[in-house]
Amino acid sequence: MTTTLPQARVLVPADLAPGLQACVEFHVTAQQMQQFAELSGDFNPLHTDDAFARGKGFEGAVVYGGLLIAKVSQLIGMRLPGRDGVWASVQLDFRRPLYVGQAAEVEGVVASVSASTGMVDLKLTLRAAGKVLAKGTAEVVVAR
Amino acid sequence: MNNNDLYVELSAIFHDVFDDESIVVTPQLTADDVDEWDSLSHIRLVLAIERKFGLQFSAAEVSRLKNVGEFVALIRSKAA
Repeated sequence: MTTTLPQARVLVPADLAPGLQACVEFHVTAQQMQQFAELSGDFNPLHTDDAFARGKGFEGAVVYGGLLIAKVSQLIGMRLPGRDGVWASVQLDFRRPLYVGQAAEVEGVVASVSASTGMVDLKLTLRAAGKVLAKGTAEVVVAR
Repeated sequence: MNNNDLYVELSAIFHDVFDDESIVVTPQLTADDVDEWDSLSHIRLVLAIERKFGLQFSAAEVSRLKNVGEFVALIRSKAA
């Protein structure tokens, strides 16, 4: 039995111009939270215990920042620039919490493309319910 | 900026990009002389030099370079 993997979009440097945008919509499930806890070894109750998180002023268990970065990975590796993109850096400022099951999106916009190196600077914005969850930047090398 | 000043500026960039204060930047220096000088650090180096000197190079200009001396000549030609 073979498994068909989702196919990454292919954008070449000539396709990448400032203003080009892509977006990934997602929500984080309870199973993904559990899997990330085991993967990372981070069992902080703010992420694993709804009641504890509520006691600290949140609406429930807070989605791991690492899972939000995982969605940035999907955006870069599958959409912008897709198949030939390799991260060189990422920086995110978290502004608001995301909760399990809440609809969210991560948007990337090409800010600049280096003619000499092919390095692409992306502006990143994560949103849920029309509000910004996180903003940041990423540098992506397009492998030639 | 004279050549000495240029090499002082480049040395600071090399030390930062390759995280190695022992690198002596000379005109003859090549990627083969620096263990950490791989494709990604090369991109970092070019971008750092572009930012430091306010220049933009083309892919062709950068790919032709054989050593630091040629990079310095390129910087000088662009900054002229």
